Amino acid sequence: MKERTVDLFRNLQRCLRTRKRWLPVVIVALCLIPSTARAAGLGDIISLLKTITSTIQGAIAGQLNEIQNLQSLLNRFRQQTIWPLIAINQAKAFVNSTRGQYGHLMFGIVTIRNNSATLVPPSQLESLFRSGQSGFIGQVQPAYSSVYGVVPSATSAQPQQRNMMDMDDALAMGSLKATVLSDQMTEGVLALADSIEQHSANAAPGSGPMLSTQAQVAELETQALMAKVLAAELRAEAAKLAHQNTLLKQSSAATRNLQNQMMQVLSHP
Amino acid sequence: MKVQLTTRIWNVARNALILATTFAVVVMILPSQARSQLGLDPCCAIISVGLSTISNLLKSAVAAPLGNIQQSAQHNVNFEQQVVFPIAAINQARAFAVQAQTQFAQMRQISQLSVASATLPASQQLEGTLLSANPNNVAQVSNSYTAFYGQVMPATDAPQAVRDFVDMTDAEAQAAMKKALEIDAVANLELQAAEQINQQLQTAAPGSAAILEAQTSAWVVRANAYTQSAMAELVRVRSVELADQGARMKFSTAHTNTLQTNGSQVLQQGVH
Repeated sequence: MKERTVDLFRNLQRCLRTRKRWLPVVIVALCLIPSTARAAGLGDIISLLKTITSTIQGAIAGQLNEIQNLQSLLNRFRQQTIWPLIAINQAKAFVNSTRGQYGHLMFGIVTIRNNSATLVPPSQLESLFRSGQSGFIGQVQPAYSSVYGVVPSATSAQPQQRNMMDMDDALAMGSLKATVLSDQMTEGVLALADSIEQHSANAAPGSGPMLSTQAQVAELETQALMAKVLAAELRAEAAKLAHQNTLLKQSSAATRNLQNQMMQVLSHP
Repeated sequence: MKVQLTTRIWNVARNALILATTFAVVVMILPSQARSQLGLDPCCAIISVGLSTISNLLKSAVAAPLGNIQQSAQHNVNFEQQVVFPIAAINQARAFAVQAQTQFAQMRQISQLSVASATLPASQQLEGTLLSANPNNVAQVSNSYTAFYGQVMPATDAPQAVRDFVDMTDAEAQAAMKKALEIDAVANLELQAAEQINQQLQTAAPGSAAILEAQTSAWVVRANAYTQSAMAELVRVRSVELADQGARMKFSTAHTNTLQTNGSQVLQQGVH
């Protein structure tokens, strides 16, 4: 019995050695087996296709339609409410129309000459300080002196009086010169304002803020120039006040001197 | 012979047994409901119809709206590029800013031309301080002013009331001169800032211009405030001038009354 069992194993080993060709067949068969294949039946596939179809028809198509509607709404809102082409063209036409309507009137008012002096020296001075030409400010001093005179010589007036007269003249002339410069800069600002208006007639809603900023910058310049004129006026007013005050101080000093002299006269028999 | 036959039969039976066992194992391992694993299956037709339906659906329900959305977006882009933000208009606005820069520079140069006109040394010195536009010179104004216009008269020279309003008038005149100096300095800074903002505007975009506009508006508001402050100073100067004239008239009236009283007394003493 034992021998037969040993023979059986030997035969089996030999058989396995000789029948190795079965082994690849078995391995290939095992490899072809899908490890994770599940019970995907026909019903399941149909159900899956139906789910996909309903998802496309419902959720995706619905959302896309919503997006499309929103996009159309946004476009309509932009084109009909925010930037309607008619309104844009109307605004441009309005700019041109108002330029035509007011341009001549404004120009006519601004260019009116206010010169009123009748005699030669005052007329010369007036035309100088109303010229709006900075090149002429060098001529203001002689023209001013020819109308208001020069500071008296040291032998004709007290030093303090001469100084005050000179200071009054200086600040008055300084203010007049400042007005000449201011008038010239006003011309520049008016030209700039005109250009901004002209450009706004050809502007687009997108370039409008840039022109608006430009106008704001010009306004800042104007404010600065106005401040300079105001400073000149402040100086002139302050000098006027100081002048009046100094006269009072001199008057009190003169009164004290008079009193002293009278006391001296009265004290001498 | 019988043994050999038995052995052969045993071998054949054994091989058949091994094959059958292997096949049984493979069959047992195979998924029970897997179809078309190694060939065509009848359900392929159904899947094909399903996929075709999905494809048609994708065309009609997804692709068509997407096409419309794209068309709408393209239309929107065209509208914005041609009507709202045309590049030509934007470049034109930038070019205008470049042109305005020249004008601003010219205005600044004009505003800095000297208007000094004093001829005597003392007045030249005071004028120089007042026109300097240098805020560091504000502290010098009081000394220069006192040196030029004199200080309040001593108590022996005038009644206290007169000394008070003289001092008040001097104070306001000095304050106005200081304010003028400050305002000049502020105006110069505003001109510089305006040029800088304008320079920035030359490279701005429509979207960033609004930011610059806001900044410039802030500067304008500030400039208005300074102008208002200068106007207030001007009102104070004129008010003090008016008050000064009123005080002189009051003083003159009181002085005349005193003179009349004293004159009457002298005359009465003369009669007696």
